[in-house]
Amino acid sequence: MRVSRQARAIRQLLLPAARALPWRAPAAGAGLGLLILAVARIVDSDPAPWLAAVLLRCAILADAVGLAFLMDDPARHTTATVPTRRALRTAVRLALITPVTALWWTAALLLVPSQARPPAGALTLEAAAACVLALAAGAAAVRLTDALAPGPSVAAAFLFTAVVAPLLLPDRWALFVAPGDARWEAAHQRWAGVLVGAVLLWGMCLPEPVRRRPGALRVRSPSGTSDPSRTW
Amino acid sequence: MIPTVSASGLSLRYGRAQALDDVSLRLGQGVTGLLGPNGAGKTTLLRVLATAVPADRGAFAVLGHDPATPAGRQELRRRLGYLPQTPGFHPDFTAFEFVDYVAILKELTDRAARHREVRRVLDEVDLADVRGKRIKKLSGGMRQRVALAAALVGDPGFLVLDEPTVGLDPEQRMRFRELIAQAGEGRTVLLSTHQTEDVAMLCHRVLVMAGGRIRFDGTPAELTARAAGRVWISTERDPAAKAGWRTGTGTFRNVGSPPDGADLLEPTLEDGYLLTLDGAGAEVAA
Amino acid sequence: MTAVLDGAPVATRDAGRRSSWAAALALALFEARRLLLTLPVLLAFALYVGWIVWRTPDFQDGYPALQDADRAGQTTLLLVGMAVLVCVNQAVLRAKRRDTERHFAVLVLPRSWRTAAHALSLVPVVLLTAVCALAQFGWSALRSGAVGSGSPGELLVGPLTVLLFGALGVLLARLVASPIAAPLITVLLVLMLFVAGGFPAGDGERGLRWLAPVVTEASSQTLPAALLDRPAAWHALYLAGFALTLALLAVLAGGGRGWMLTAATAGAAALAVTGGVLQCAPVGADTKAARERASVSPEKDQTCVRHGSSTYCAFPEWTARTESWADVVHDVQSSAGGTARTQPLVVRQRIDARHGLTGDAALEPSMTPHQVTVGTAWGGNRVPEFSAAVAAVLVAGDEKAAGSLCDGRMVTVMWLALNRLPDPMTSLRDVRLDDSVSGSAIVLSPTNPMSMTAGQTDVVRELLGRPAGEIAPRVTAHWAELTTPKVTTARVAKLLGVAAPKAADRCE
Repeated sequence: MRVSRQARAIRQLLLPAARALPWRAPAAGAGLGLLILAVARIVDSDPAPWLAAVLLRCAILADAVGLAFLMDDPARHTTATVPTRRALRTAVRLALITPVTALWWTAALLLVPSQARPPAGALTLEAAAACVLALAAGAAAVRLTDALAPGPSVAAAFLFTAVVAPLLLPDRWALFVAPGDARWEAAHQRWAGVLVGAVLLWGMCLPEPVRRRPGALRVRSPSGTSDPSRTW
Repeated sequence: MIPTVSASGLSLRYGRAQALDDVSLRLGQGVTGLLGPNGAGKTTLLRVLATAVPADRGAFAVLGHDPATPAGRQELRRRLGYLPQTPGFHPDFTAFEFVDYVAILKELTDRAARHREVRRVLDEVDLADVRGKRIKKLSGGMRQRVALAAALVGDPGFLVLDEPTVGLDPEQRMRFRELIAQAGEGRTVLLSTHQTEDVAMLCHRVLVMAGGRIRFDGTPAELTARAAGRVWISTERDPAAKAGWRTGTGTFRNVGSPPDGADLLEPTLEDGYLLTLDGAGAEVAA
Repeated sequence: MTAVLDGAPVATRDAGRRSSWAAALALALFEARRLLLTLPVLLAFALYVGWIVWRTPDFQDGYPALQDADRAGQTTLLLVGMAVLVCVNQAVLRAKRRDTERHFAVLVLPRSWRTAAHALSLVPVVLLTAVCALAQFGWSALRSGAVGSGSPGELLVGPLTVLLFGALGVLLARLVASPIAAPLITVLLVLMLFVAGGFPAGDGERGLRWLAPVVTEASSQTLPAALLDRPAAWHALYLAGFALTLALLAVLAGGGRGWMLTAATAGAAALAVTGGVLQCAPVGADTKAARERASVSPEKDQTCVRHGSSTYCAFPEWTARTESWADVVHDVQSSAGGTARTQPLVVRQRIDARHGLTGDAALEPSMTPHQVTVGTAWGGNRVPEFSAAVAAVLVAGDEKAAGSLCDGRMVTVMWLALNRLPDPMTSLRDVRLDDSVSGSAIVLSPTNPMSMTAGQTDVVRELLGRPAGEIAPRVTAHWAELTTPKVTTARVAKLLGVAAPKAADRCE
């Protein structure tokens, strides 16, 4: 009976949740991604495979940066103590954004000329890993802080990681390899690892703990009038 | 009578600040006021009781449900209405849509019944006329009432209101007090405020917090009685007073230990509150 | 009467303007402190400083040419620039995000001045960047092996890029009041870097590629500073003008008005256009002539120094390094026998600067007898490579002949080249293209490479394993036969007293 009640709640939640979703940032990110690919296609209709991979990766990055804003919720404090669990509320958001993102990704792949397109499966794995990582980072921000809109900080952190990772990762952990590189296969095994790690991180951030563990990470004090630090 | 809320030994610490220090309380039906200075731990106590944040130590139960297990917390939340200190909204929603959204999250899944309930609470907070208006177009007082409606929706048995009267004009405040008083009939309401008049006019019981502890627990009359014979008027600022302020007539109103022959005044709830805080301060310092 | 009325408000306005400046400066200081303490900026600086500490000691094997060292940190500074872009953007948007704009809007300091303060808050970050860039350059410059000269223009590029990115962040916040804009612009910048990095000289040496904030070069060869002819000063002017234009546009977008502001914006834009156009102009004819001369007839530019019996000719910036070359030549010659021991050599520094830094060109081997070519880089692998070239010229007579050595003499060459070096086996590995110490391999030298067969490699390895005192007398004693053309590797091995290889010599 509980399960059916929740299923009904989810069904009825879809529409208002879709309206509550901060669509603008993910739309901007996805739009920029498509714009990059479209402009590149107009400028150079036969790009080198490495260039096509770079363009697709930048499109992924743009989309993932947009997804970092997905967990923003101005009504968060008001809905903090409702019986519908955070995991469920997040699942609804995910259910709303996943088909759109899948559609976007298909369009992105199709925008790359087929002769230059890197292996679609491998790039899809990269896209999935990046998007889930961005969402997991958003979930972590929700879990660890009381911020209503952690999006900008999450996006900055995600972007910083994305820019620094190719510079700092040693060769044996290389993730950003060009198509045709001998390390392609190994790199995508690592991408699968990133995806699994991101899913686990996300899973860890979904439940609302019933106990504070001593020494557990709390980034912000959520106290009332006396706390100016809440503002960031 | 079985209390709605019983808590024992609640403690919570943020870094080096002890926000709650071994708080125990029992709440029954009616409106209980929570007074205290900024940083006393009022919001933290309300957040703990509303299950927005778990305590470090201690336990509590609401209507027999223990939030220390996920299932217990779930049951508790089904019976809870919470108005946070800074309620947030989706500004593009209409008042009706927003309360309806919260109602869905409160598992009111029968559409027709839910819409009836949303209309009822919006009527109750006097927002029936503007329920089709977007929240971003509403005034501050109206938004506060939308948040109260969101707390009231689903007829919760336990209502936690964190400074609900902040930022309201006197008329709105009166209206709001009436609403809360209504809500307190047949329910348990815990209300934190800085306004001693709120407490004096609304509450059958008052708690005073300071430094994360409860310093007073009794009726408003008892709190007022604490100041009996300890409020006096003088022409100069009296160094013997624990607290004193210049009144509009140019004389000084003092609370503390009056000197012999002082011109004593009738105490108010605020005087009792100030004296309680002063004692608490001394206790903390000791 | 009118005059009196006119007089008073002007005075007040002046006083108001002064206090606006003071308030804007105070706000700028406050924002600068916050900006410097934001996590991305702190992390980016930590990475940048870590990169300096990690890379500078090994930069160009410890013998840096300062005309390269001055632009070594520019690419890394892009990271700081991006962090500043995102953070300053969020700082400008803070008032809107936290809904304090309505409150701030009625304060004395208007929105345009607050925007100006945000732009000014970039100054300390930029200064810190400049200090870091200068420290990195100074560290290289103070090394004992450093040669050449840096360019102030190149040193300014890094800090000005940070300023440009920051100004872009401020302007962006005034144009698009959304926190997503700055991260997405950063994605575009990253894309630009990658794509520009993929085509470092897509437009040739000059041209539109100079419109990018940091211009990298395809070639890693070091040229004399005068032949480099990167328009660094114009580029710095372009960046400064561009950054200033963006900052002033931000103030305009923030509601700033007045002829002075408009004029300043126009002036900054003029600076940017001037720098932008001049930097893209093609390489001048005199530079081309100088490059041609330095490549084809370097003797016209070089000064020659004698150390011992040999002559060392270097471009003026490198004359100090002739002593290091002389040490290597001395070591090789003192292991040799016969006339090679005292043969006067000419060591000539050669470059191919005809294409600037758009590509690496191999140097043709010299056909002048007893002339050895040396490049502009030194330290690390360049030492055994030069040593091998000296030994090959001593044995084969000239570089052209040395390139086609295909017999037992290669063993003598390699032993001569390596036995006096501090760690001969490591040097053997370094001097071979595939970093191996067995099998056949290409041996690098400043001009054409040489090749070793697997058999020769075995013999050389064996020889290097023995004490030098044991082999040296045999080399001297059998010098004539060891350096005879067509001598077999087996014969050489026998003469030097080690096991002969099984396979016959066969060059690939």
